[in-house]
Amino acid sequence: MDFLMRINKFLNKLLTLIGGACLLGMILLTCANIFIRKILVPIPGTFELMGFAGAIVTAFALGYTQFTSGHISVDVLVYTYSKPMKRFVSIINHGVCCVFFSIAAWFLVQKALILKQTGELSETLRIIYYPFTLAVALGFLILALALFTDFLKVLLPEKEGTK
Amino acid sequence: MSLTLIGITGIFFLLFILFAFGIPVGFAMGLVGFVGFSLVITPNAGVNMLATVTWDTFSSYGLTVIPLFIFMGQIAFYSGVNGKLYTAAYTWVGHIRGGIAMATVMACAAFAAICGSNAATAATMTTVALPQMNKYKYEPMLSTGAIACGSTLGVVIPPSVVLIIIGLSTEQSIAKLFYGGLGAGILLALLLTATVYVVCTLHPSWGPVGEKTTFRQKIRSLAGAIEMLVLFMVVMLGLYFGLFTPTEAGAIGSFFAVVIGVVQKSLSWNDFYNSIFDTLKISCMVIVIITGAMIFGRFLAITRIPFNIADWVVSLPLSKISIMAIIFFIYIIGGAVMDALALLLITIPIFFPVAVELGYDPIWFGVTITIVTTLGAVTPPVGATTYVVAGMAKNVPMQQVFKGVAYFLPAYIICLILMILFPQVVLFLPGLLN
Repeated sequence: MDFLMRINKFLNKLLTLIGGACLLGMILLTCANIFIRKILVPIPGTFELMGFAGAIVTAFALGYTQFTSGHISVDVLVYTYSKPMKRFVSIINHGVCCVFFSIAAWFLVQKALILKQTGELSETLRIIYYPFTLAVALGFLILALALFTDFLKVLLPEKEGTK
Repeated sequence: MSLTLIGITGIFFLLFILFAFGIPVGFAMGLVGFVGFSLVITPNAGVNMLATVTWDTFSSYGLTVIPLFIFMGQIAFYSGVNGKLYTAAYTWVGHIRGGIAMATVMACAAFAAICGSNAATAATMTTVALPQMNKYKYEPMLSTGAIACGSTLGVVIPPSVVLIIIGLSTEQSIAKLFYGGLGAGILLALLLTATVYVVCTLHPSWGPVGEKTTFRQKIRSLAGAIEMLVLFMVVMLGLYFGLFTPTEAGAIGSFFAVVIGVVQKSLSWNDFYNSIFDTLKISCMVIVIITGAMIFGRFLAITRIPFNIADWVVSLPLSKISIMAIIFFIYIIGGAVMDALALLLITIPIFFPVAVELGYDPIWFGVTITIVTTLGAVTPPVGATTYVVAGMAKNVPMQQVFKGVAYFLPAYIICLILMILFPQVVLFLPGLLN
């Protein structure tokens, strides 16, 4: 369990740092585009690059947001449950979400592979963009891993006194 | 089973797993939308829709506006702008009865012009303003109520994530929604300030006068706060004159917020690092809810539920205003039990067509439901903003904070009545954009 937690922490921090770098890149690219288009011409493909970078910003923060309980839920009713009931609900919650996001990650990979096979290019810059789709799939995979860790934490709670 | 019945079952199932299992809102909408779509069409179509909608939403240029404005707000928050705004407002009006509570509401309104988060405003204002109000022996109900309600201005006064999301999900102009929110937000801020005045007139001991300040002190207090307000003006005027898109406005705002923080030496590396992490976390939470809503929306669309409900409601033997009152009532109840953003994303596909069919202006409807749902941030049982204030104001019991909030509720009601009677309160500024 400790190993899984450490892996989660490391991966989430790494991906969030990459996402943060993309966010800063988006700011600089947009500001540069605003100023350069006043004197010359707009930077080609700014919209496309912003979209791709935005996808990485969100996807790479998926696991971190789950890890830090950042996703909004309605727990008015769950608060009133007994401890065993809360545990049961939590197991179902994390288990179902883990399966759902694993499916999402798998079919995003399939989508990326189709984009690769068909040689699909972006509209303006004419670049391949399936790697960005794969990056989003990776984000969902890391989210599924974070949910799996949460699932195990509830299913196999550590006994008091043990680390 | 008819498509309509499948749609209604899907809505009830969504509410069931949201409340009974506490599944995060975005996850639940995505899950129910995916399963529903797969059942109605085919599982193969379901997985294709899941991958396509997810990729399209995540890589949408329109949605990149969200992390950019959130980053601007986070930089302002970590730079301590809130404290400077409060000091400026306090220096100007602190010497009148209830003045510190009025200053708190004004500072909340000013901070809302940079940051769109209720919770961030409530947390900082409790730290900054509450000790001052305790020092001058303000009634805790008044002080905590003013902070909690003032903080709700965060989602009404632009830039507001809630308004951005309403704009994106209803295909309305974000700039127009911002200007509509500005009119309504200023009205609400004035009404909240007037509430402090009325309460202190009825109970003079609740808001004793603060220290008098000289004109020189008043002018000096503006330093450090005025820069961020100028930045707000640049962002809003840039949108107004069409110099840049909302996304570009967010990028310009973020860039110069960092520059101001660095020049003022109020932004450390640690603050910068934390603001990036917080931005990613909040943006991710918001975009996951939007993606879930898009998937759920696809499911609702194939069942034709939104259109059938709109047709049914319009055919009811009720006046337009009665139907709108029912919708507002649903939003007030919904806002009391769940997060405003999630509630809006679930209900907009259903109620927006109804409002349009009834002939209401889409911008007016978007701004009005923002105010209605923000009420939920201060009322029980959810009342997230009230919990933040109560959690940080150690010596004030939760009940007292809620009682304090109750004094300010008439301000929201009056604001809504004025917006219904005089839609120009909301529509005047967006009208100028035409």
